[in-house]
Amino acid sequence: MFKLKLTALGHPNPESFNCEDEKEYRSVVLWLEDQKIRHYKIEDREGLRNIDADSWKEAYDLYQKDLVSPVSDGSPNEQLNWLLSYAVRLEFADNVTKYKDAKIEQPKQAAPNVVSSNPLDNLNFSSPAFVNGVERVCALTGVGPHIDPKLRLAAVAKILKTSPHPDCPRTEVSVVQQPADVLKLLFIQDLRDLQTKINEALVAVQSVTADPRTDTSLGRVGR
Amino acid sequence: MVVRNYNEELKYLEKINPYCWRIKKGFQPNMNVEGVFYVNNTLEKLMLDELRNSCRPGMTGGFLPGVKQIANVAALPGIVGRSVGLPDVHSGYGFAIGNMAAFDMSNPKSIVSPGGVGFDINCGVRLLRTNLHEKDVQPIKEQLAQSLFDHIPVGVGSKGIIPMNARDMEEALEMGMDWSLREGYVWAEDKEHCEEYGRMLNADPSKVSLRAKKRGLPQLGTLGAGNHYAEIQVVDEIYDKYAASKMGLERTGQVVVMIHSGSRGFGHQVATDALVQMEKAMKRDQIEVNDRQLACARINSVEGQDYLKAMAAAANFAWVNRSSMTFLTRQAFAKQFKMAPDDLDMHVIYDVSHNIAKIEEHVVDGKVKTLLVHRKGSTRAFPPHHPLIPVDYQLTGQPVLIGGSMGTCSYVLTGTHQGMTETFGTTCHGAGRALSRAKSRRNLDYKDVLTKLENMGISIRVASPKLVMEEAPESYKNVTDVVNTCHAAGISKKTVKLRPIAVIKG
Repeated sequence: MFKLKLTALGHPNPESFNCEDEKEYRSVVLWLEDQKIRHYKIEDREGLRNIDADSWKEAYDLYQKDLVSPVSDGSPNEQLNWLLSYAVRLEFADNVTKYKDAKIEQPKQAAPNVVSSNPLDNLNFSSPAFVNGVERVCALTGVGPHIDPKLRLAAVAKILKTSPHPDCPRTEVSVVQQPADVLKLLFIQDLRDLQTKINEALVAVQSVTADPRTDTSLGRVGR
Repeated sequence: MVVRNYNEELKYLEKINPYCWRIKKGFQPNMNVEGVFYVNNTLEKLMLDELRNSCRPGMTGGFLPGVKQIANVAALPGIVGRSVGLPDVHSGYGFAIGNMAAFDMSNPKSIVSPGGVGFDINCGVRLLRTNLHEKDVQPIKEQLAQSLFDHIPVGVGSKGIIPMNARDMEEALEMGMDWSLREGYVWAEDKEHCEEYGRMLNADPSKVSLRAKKRGLPQLGTLGAGNHYAEIQVVDEIYDKYAASKMGLERTGQVVVMIHSGSRGFGHQVATDALVQMEKAMKRDQIEVNDRQLACARINSVEGQDYLKAMAAAANFAWVNRSSMTFLTRQAFAKQFKMAPDDLDMHVIYDVSHNIAKIEEHVVDGKVKTLLVHRKGSTRAFPPHHPLIPVDYQLTGQPVLIGGSMGTCSYVLTGTHQGMTETFGTTCHGAGRALSRAKSRRNLDYKDVLTKLENMGISIRVASPKLVMEEAPESYKNVTDVVNTCHAAGISKKTVKLRPIAVIKG
């Protein structure tokens, strides 16, 4: 947690920081004030500097109030998160010109990443392969011609949603059938996993509720 | 009603293929759709003889023949597709037993009919497998049959050995198999392998009369009488190795247990109560039907909704009942073999319902529609990849358990895509009666029936031997004919044949 922000601020060991540890938490707060935020004069930082003292908590609360932190009533994690963000903001404001260039670089990196994760976003809708594919699916579903292949694809989607799937002609069977079969098998595998989890949950509940009893004195054989 | 002679009647029937006949409109008045029934040559003869008998002068007022009943159902408001008769069809109250009919939920005139579900609501069959072989069981067959008989009370007026009070009952009616699961009577995997996961969610115990609850309370965990039974069976023949192995049936001689039971007096009372209400509703809403026994109400009417909620509670009762008997069966086996039921691999293969009405989605004339599907004396048989069947059977199709008549064989089938389109995913449920109960009592002697079973090497324990001839194989159609017809017609597929070695009955 907080690794990115601590790294950005140049904290000596952002990897190993554990925000659950009270002592580490306090020292990071002190480090932020000493190195980055510098809201108090050096002599006024005494309260925060007494990391081991019980009075530190009070000093911290006061510190947050002085900074007008909006999350001063929140959990320690939220409080620290805000402090870190605040420090980052100050750091940025100090060196606007330096960071402005870096900013443009980052989205450039991120953009191709998003696209490559979903191949469908990469489709070239005007490529001959796409147009041919749409042509074939349209022939199977009986969708008429239109200049825009995207519009025809939308029509196919509508048909598949509203009416039962049309039978495909013999010659196309393996083209459509094989991928469909693979999808079905993968689906069944997922379903089995889900059912197994459901059964495990039921058994877990049974260990609490189950108490099967019989009472043979109640039994009576009929005529 | 018009009176026609047999040859005139035949003009309305048309054989469309070797296993299927069409009933044209006009066979009975006001038919909204056509009827259809599945038979082979032998069953066809039984079916037409029944019609011929009813055409003889002076035969009015008796049982309506099955074909006529199928056609009367085709005249009910809101029916879609066809009124379907399965190969084991025979006359019943209003609807023939072995008749399925689907009603369009979006049509405000569509009806629900208790006669289309039957009196034994959610009567059904459950199959448990074991890892035992016939040779393990043969030497102690008698003791095992006795032990089962001691654990599972049978017969008219029998009382169960699972202690329950009125509050347990209310909870069980609402929760179905989830109640059995919570109380620890069944395993989590049992629920997975049960139609509807053993619970109708729309069940409302407050719609059930006190009388029904009073009748039902002591009967939980009892088998009942009539055609109900618990049988120890062995795998006799495997037709579809893959599907059988998916069900854990690996080899011939493997021992399984089949439990055939329903909602006992509880379901009967729910149906009786509903019929009274519906007669009033019919008068109010001016619903016309061909047969007084086809009492019904609009699905959206108060009576219709109340019946569906009470029926769901009765269905839950039946699942709890079969679950309790599953527990008792496991106990009986565990005691005899001194092994835990787990180690005997006593898993539920599947649990099917024979008498039930359910809301399902089907394709009608190329459009997806929500239907209220009545199945009376017929079994749901959904094809592979249907979302409502357990994941383990996604590739094989839903297992369909067909209980034969006493002493004959039973079958396991699987659902097919053809069945989904032709019969709304429905197939036969058993042998189907050929002689009426009264007729079998007159024609057969119970001692002969018992001796015959003994000669076949089948241990039998019955509560009321004098009623045993009602259930003798001679009183029934041949289950093999019935199953072969379903297989040949393509509405379900044969997987395994089972042969009984011990029976307990009411």
